[in-house]
Amino acid sequence: MSGLPGENESAVGDGQKHWIMSILVEDVEMLQVDQPHFQHVLQIVSALEAVVLRSFGPNGGQVLFTKDTGEAIVTRSGTRILTALRLKHPLARMVVDCVWKHSRATGDGSKNFILLLASLLRMFQTALQTTTAWRLAYELREFGMMKLDEIICLGVLPYGFCAKLENDPLDTHYLCVKKLLTPFFQTRLGQTHCDMISHLTCEFLMRSRVANNHPSSGLHFVYTNFPALHTTVSGVPVTCSRLIEGQVIHSDFAVHFPQTDKQPVKAVVFTQHVQPKLLGEGDILTVGFEDQAFKKKSIVEFTAWSEKSLQLVFASLQSFGVSVLLSAVKQSAAFLALAAQAEMCVVECVSEDELSLFARLSRTAPVLDCCAIEAVNVATLTFCCPLTLGVQRYVHVAFPHSEQDVVVNLSSLVICGSGKEQTDQYASAFQDSIRMLLTTYEPRGTTTLSDERTCLLTDEKTESASSSAPDLQQHVLDSCCVVPAGGAFEILLSRALLQHGDKYPVSRLLSDALLSVSRHICTQTSGRFSPAQAKVLTQCDGFSSKAVMSGSSLESVSCKHILLQSVLWCATSLLRVDKILYTHVVLNTDSQKSAGDSWDDTG
Amino acid sequence: MSRLVPKAPSACSDLPLDNAEICHKLILLKELLTSSFGPTGKLKQIHNNIGGHVVLTSTSSVLLQAISSSQHFVNLIKTSILNHVSRFSDCGLFAAVLCLTLVELAKQSGLAENVSVRLNKYFLDLCVSYMQGEDCGCRVKLDFSNSHNLITLARSVISSKPACMLTVQEVLHISKLAVQAFLLTLPCDKPGTITLGRTVTITVEGYSVLNSEVFTGLLVDVTCDLCLNRAINLNSGALPVVVFSTSLAGDFSELGEGIIEVLAGVDSESQILEQLLELGKQVVKDDVKLFVCQKVIHPVLQQYMRSQGIIVMERLGVNLMEPIIQLTGAQPVATLHSTIPASAYGKVMGISIKQIGSKTMLHLQPTRESVICTLVLCHRNETVLRELKLVCQKTEHVLRLALKDPAALLGGGCTETLLAAYIRHKCNEAEAAAQLRCSQSEYLLGMEVFCHSLEYVAKALDHDGGDSLIDLNHAHHWNQPVETMKNSLEYSLGNCGCGLLRNSPGMKWTYLNTAYSPFSASSSSADPTAQPRVLDSFTAKLNALQVAVETANLALDIRFIIQDLN
Repeated sequence: MSGLPGENESAVGDGQKHWIMSILVEDVEMLQVDQPHFQHVLQIVSALEAVVLRSFGPNGGQVLFTKDTGEAIVTRSGTRILTALRLKHPLARMVVDCVWKHSRATGDGSKNFILLLASLLRMFQTALQTTTAWRLAYELREFGMMKLDEIICLGVLPYGFCAKLENDPLDTHYLCVKKLLTPFFQTRLGQTHCDMISHLTCEFLMRSRVANNHPSSGLHFVYTNFPALHTTVSGVPVTCSRLIEGQVIHSDFAVHFPQTDKQPVKAVVFTQHVQPKLLGEGDILTVGFEDQAFKKKSIVEFTAWSEKSLQLVFASLQSFGVSVLLSAVKQSAAFLALAAQAEMCVVECVSEDELSLFARLSRTAPVLDCCAIEAVNVATLTFCCPLTLGVQRYVHVAFPHSEQDVVVNLSSLVICGSGKEQTDQYASAFQDSIRMLLTTYEPRGTTTLSDERTCLLTDEKTESASSSAPDLQQHVLDSCCVVPAGGAFEILLSRALLQHGDKYPVSRLLSDALLSVSRHICTQTSGRFSPAQAKVLTQCDGFSSKAVMSGSSLESVSCKHILLQSVLWCATSLLRVDKILYTHVVLNTDSQKSAGDSWDDTG
Repeated sequence: MSRLVPKAPSACSDLPLDNAEICHKLILLKELLTSSFGPTGKLKQIHNNIGGHVVLTSTSSVLLQAISSSQHFVNLIKTSILNHVSRFSDCGLFAAVLCLTLVELAKQSGLAENVSVRLNKYFLDLCVSYMQGEDCGCRVKLDFSNSHNLITLARSVISSKPACMLTVQEVLHISKLAVQAFLLTLPCDKPGTITLGRTVTITVEGYSVLNSEVFTGLLVDVTCDLCLNRAINLNSGALPVVVFSTSLAGDFSELGEGIIEVLAGVDSESQILEQLLELGKQVVKDDVKLFVCQKVIHPVLQQYMRSQGIIVMERLGVNLMEPIIQLTGAQPVATLHSTIPASAYGKVMGISIKQIGSKTMLHLQPTRESVICTLVLCHRNETVLRELKLVCQKTEHVLRLALKDPAALLGGGCTETLLAAYIRHKCNEAEAAAQLRCSQSEYLLGMEVFCHSLEYVAKALDHDGGDSLIDLNHAHHWNQPVETMKNSLEYSLGNCGCGLLRNSPGMKWTYLNTAYSPFSASSSSADPTAQPRVLDSFTAKLNALQVAVETANLALDIRFIIQDLN
């Protein structure tokens, strides 16, 4: 039972009504025999490969994913495409799951994942004539654990360039970032706009540096706050995408007065209703009650009290010179009218993300108790004005520069596109590119990686195995090594595998698989394979950091390393599946037919 | 568990542009939109199956919204164009026709999709830099001190919507009103950032278009006779106004969800009313002449204030609140228990009655220079009136766009032919092909696709079987009407599409679908005093061009469609 994939998802019906590709249509009964089972896996992965190849590389096209609700997504992202297929076969779902987990961790490489997996399985096809799948899986895992890191250290790292953040002056660093981003956007957004977008991203990251801190904390800042830091505008060409200083709050003014003569602008954030709601649900207000202390109370006095307290809040706001009020909720009409009389701007229904970013950037706290507003609640802004982007009106604020600034020069990203589908595609590519840069510059430690792996493989002793070579792995990940993009890593590693891995039979298989992937990449870039291969090798043989940096595009070795490990794990898990159990759950679609459950007899 | 339904696998289709059904639908859509294009475009009547309004239109925003295809691929193009229209109000059909033609021709040319995409982008960049450049032959500077060009721009927008059913004289009248209303919303006195005013549009059915008018200030519908008699007396001096944004009906909706328990012998309603009347007394004391409330006013309070000679307007609605606040300078009041601060009062210069058709309106005149005006549109029936109102709003938007970038483009197809001629002239296949990583023949093929698509749009302006020509000196677009086709060209042509050029001896023409040797179009007109008679919005058309090419590129780039069936 242990290696069984799709265990949690056994609520699969018995029928296989229609598959997206005819090759995926196979009878369940076939799975009970060992040899055709591998064929089956190969067929599934090849079908996925065929889908992914449509949008692979800079010349690949896009995929339109539509729902019956009318919603449409245009994408080149491998993960999006694969999850959109909604595959039914448990093995296919397991592969898609692995891809999803991998790309969530690194932001990149999902199409490469499928290509490498398919090539690797094709190599195994011949190897399986002499050995068993179980044996092969064991060797593969052993090799991935023990030897792969060492080979990368020996065969790839010497040819790369160390792009560690601390070492470089800023301009070299961002040159390197730009070269990493260009090939990423080429594959994710196509060639026409990749230069412009990578330039924009670079500029964006440069401005979002976190002062006096490790440069990668700027990446973290952008990654976590990305929803609040970008605005999408449809109906305008992509080339109008730009950066604007300060923060954009995605709500319109409920009350607006131009803040021309007030410098600087003072602002306060509210998270709840300022005018007290007199009666909560279930409360009872007794009107006309006679009391010695309160005399006769009429309902008018209650509402008068409510208004009075609101006026006190405004008096206190005016004493601080506040002229902008941001609120997470919709305020009462009296609140808006009093704000208008006090010539204050009001912005209602601001999202929580934006308010927390605002609080962080202005170093203030939202008002918790409306009766006690203090100086710590009052933010200082350089300006606060309306901003029209597309057909939407937003609020644009900026913060004064100071010594202890959280972010050096905060800017918001405006992403334009002719339709919502495109702006969404650009936004998700932006976010993934930052994820990719984070993996390059600040790979997470071995422990987190092992955690990821344990999800892929159900019950193996991952920790103990990986701890045998943690230093080497850490070395690969810590090196921040970059190599020229476009198949160089694959070619270098496949050569190194042949040189250093002769003791392991799987090393040769992996080498061949890598070579076939690099063939896909090279045909994309220059049409023919061998000259490109020669070019890469000559470039790398006369290596120096200058030679690497002179190329127009780079890719990160740590991303590739994680990719390779994920593929090896996925392949291992695929090989170790012996039988698939289809359990039957009675659904409301009243299928009376009982599923022909097959027994797992391996134990 | 019983509610769990397994997700169905998605349906996939490969290479949508090779799919006969999709191609057919794209061609159908192109023909439909092409036939509606321009001043002589054919009108479309839109019905729905449940007996709603019958809409008569040739406007892209209405047409495209009505079209819905089962093919999401077609919808993708549609929404892209609609996004442009919602942002710029103009040139929607231009963008749609250009986009669909580009897709069709690129497909026919047999170029690889990614090569097509690269080439289209390259030619687009060429066009955009030409249009923004100094020596652009198709751009006209707009001068705000002279309303002539503004009226031409407005007239081009209005006359391109034939569903308004206007005569030449009526088009001119409406164009002048649109420009007048636009100019009234511009504040003149304030330096720095300016806030534009508002034009409130009122439609009156059953009258001639020539009865349409523009008023400074606001016209508000009133139904009550009582206030009207008094209103006539209020024509001079600054009259104080108060504006309430909360309900004055005596309800306490803001109290919350709890329960109110009223003890016997307590008359809450009269207490509340007493409070409201307190408010009325203050208003009377402060000599307010106009009392406006967004929501409902208690009848007793209304009666009291009327008896004191105050004009009361209730249920104004949220749409009119902003103009009335801008007009009067009042600040909305929403507190009932405190005295109204003096700063909250606004002023109007005069209140009078206007009888427009069947409607009796209260005319609120602004005190000083105000940026609020009212456009009263008249037309013969409801359907055309609705289209006219839409067109006037679009015209206002186009004029506002011109504020940011005071420029216009030659209309009548001349910009399109000029751009095509410019691209052909600039063509340097050896250099560009190397830069674009394609062969020279691919480059030339891609150029023909792009130029033919532009020329197709110019040709689409004609719907009567005439011929489209381009002159070989200035590269403007000329139309030879079908009835003069027998005559030689020199005698049958009058003016070019935009009206800048006149037929003069020594001019040479060629038919638009024939090849001509590239030439550099001379921008100097024979007659320096000549003014173009058709102008298009620069900002809108530039964006439309970019959106059209980008959308076409997106369509060409899609290789696979996955349809979620859940």
